[in-house]
Amino acid sequence: MNGSFRTCPTTGLKVHAQADGLIKANAVVATVTLLIGGIAAVLVMLTRWQAVHLLSAEWFYRMLTIHGMNMLIFFILFFEMAVLYFASAVLLNSRVAAPRLAWGSFGLMVLGTLIVEWTMFAGKADVLFTSYVPLKATPWYYLGVILFAVGALLVVCIFFATLVVARREKTYTGSVPLVTFGAATAAIIAVITLGHGAAIYIPTFLWSLGLMNVDAQVYRLVWWGLGHSSQQINVAAMVSVWYLLGAFTVGAVVLNEKISRAAFVLYVLFISMASAHHLLVDPGMGPTWKVWNTSYAMYLAVLASMIHGFTVPAGVELGQRVRGLTKGLFEWLRKAPWGDPGFSSLIFSVIIFGFVGGITGVTFGTEQINIIAHNTLRIPGHFHATVVAGTALAFMGVTYYVIPLIFRKQIAFWPLAKIQPYLFAVGMLIFSVAMTFAGTFGAPRRHWDMTFSQAPFDVQFSPAVDLVIGVMAVGGLIAAVGGAIYIVVTVWSVFLGRPMPAGSEA
Amino acid sequence: MPLYGVPQGIVTPPRPAPAGDDADAEHGIGGRTPGTVILVFVFLLAFVLYYFVNWKLLSFVWRIG
Repeated sequence: MNGSFRTCPTTGLKVHAQADGLIKANAVVATVTLLIGGIAAVLVMLTRWQAVHLLSAEWFYRMLTIHGMNMLIFFILFFEMAVLYFASAVLLNSRVAAPRLAWGSFGLMVLGTLIVEWTMFAGKADVLFTSYVPLKATPWYYLGVILFAVGALLVVCIFFATLVVARREKTYTGSVPLVTFGAATAAIIAVITLGHGAAIYIPTFLWSLGLMNVDAQVYRLVWWGLGHSSQQINVAAMVSVWYLLGAFTVGAVVLNEKISRAAFVLYVLFISMASAHHLLVDPGMGPTWKVWNTSYAMYLAVLASMIHGFTVPAGVELGQRVRGLTKGLFEWLRKAPWGDPGFSSLIFSVIIFGFVGGITGVTFGTEQINIIAHNTLRIPGHFHATVVAGTALAFMGVTYYVIPLIFRKQIAFWPLAKIQPYLFAVGMLIFSVAMTFAGTFGAPRRHWDMTFSQAPFDVQFSPAVDLVIGVMAVGGLIAAVGGAIYIVVTVWSVFLGRPMPAGSEA
Repeated sequence: MPLYGVPQGIVTPPRPAPAGDDADAEHGIGGRTPGTVILVFVFLLAFVLYYFVNWKLLSFVWRIG
């Protein structure tokens, strides 16, 4: 089942047939889950918008659970599995180690996904993404998550095995490419993440069967080792995709390979500490523990992001300058290929991730400031800027290269594809900033009815909150249009698109 | 030549960077990437402003003395 290789005429890379198939399968499932999560997102948003207030309380929390699991776990991780196969087998001209196991792992992930989707849609798991104990879902929900996680862990093992195979079979010379190195750090963080997942979901599964107790504080502590660390896999994978897109679109030059690699290592060493900022207002943890984890260790991971946030655009600038775009400070940026959705996605992803997601995240990670931001809309305002406008947009951008190079299809509705990153980025920028503003006025997150109607007490927010929430909804709808275009373009291209012209197929 | 439905990075891949880049050449205060250095300072300014505003907001709800 080893399959054969084809040579890509664009990149010169030898692409193993099994890697080809696994990348396609993971990308397709990722897109399906993105569609489910995206529909849930629109429904949740139209409920949070008090002027519309679409769903009942029951369906609001159900849809919020579906949105969280599909976007933060299924879409992102299926896409990252595709990135791991690309960064190992394709970039290193290698075969996939253990392709049967790889397909089995994919099947396990799909099975886990289907079980979790069923429990959520059937109303058997209205526990939100965090599923905090003592909120209890059906045991099937926890079992589905465990199966998914085991499948993902196996793919990570296959990634490392493929690196070993490539080295043994001498399919490349010198060090592994920076993109592969970055993917390896994402894979290491994935092992840490999935370890936490096993440590908490297995006891919780047993608890849901009535076989043991789980302490609520211990659950939160260990669960965030999964919940936040899984987003750090995203960061490492996203930065790898940034370097890849820079190279694909403008031939970006890596400014200093050692510094970029060192920054990836900082992620591995310190980024999991960032999980502690979710517990900054928890009474069970002491201030020393909180301050050490969030104000010292976390800043070293932030330093890594700042290094990448400099080296990626600097690499683009240097790449453009050595090719002659040297006039003034910004000719390299003005004359960049803005009509290439891969390039526009890259730049918007870097800017929104850094300027909105990064700045807000580090600020909220300060213990004293966290007290005024915790459980308000400022928190989802922050992570929509990092995970959606940062990671998801970068993944969307690289899709426009994956379709011609791996699926060997032209991008359908090309003019729409070119404006898609603009719509998505502008929409998410408005959405995230408006959410942050609403949270500044104290608007709570995860709340079905901010007017607290029929409550025994009266809570008044500034009238500005209504306006800001309206702006948030408009931004969200623009982003939803961008997301819908992405799904239509990619699905049509893959299943009904025209093949690449003879001689140019990748 | 542009090809419908294919990103320019595939149709016309970036030409290889010249072998000897300008690493040894003299550069201004912004080094080899002055545009990015300007953007870094814009980022720093935004960071400082946002951080300061948050401490100010905290001072409204957490009065001392």
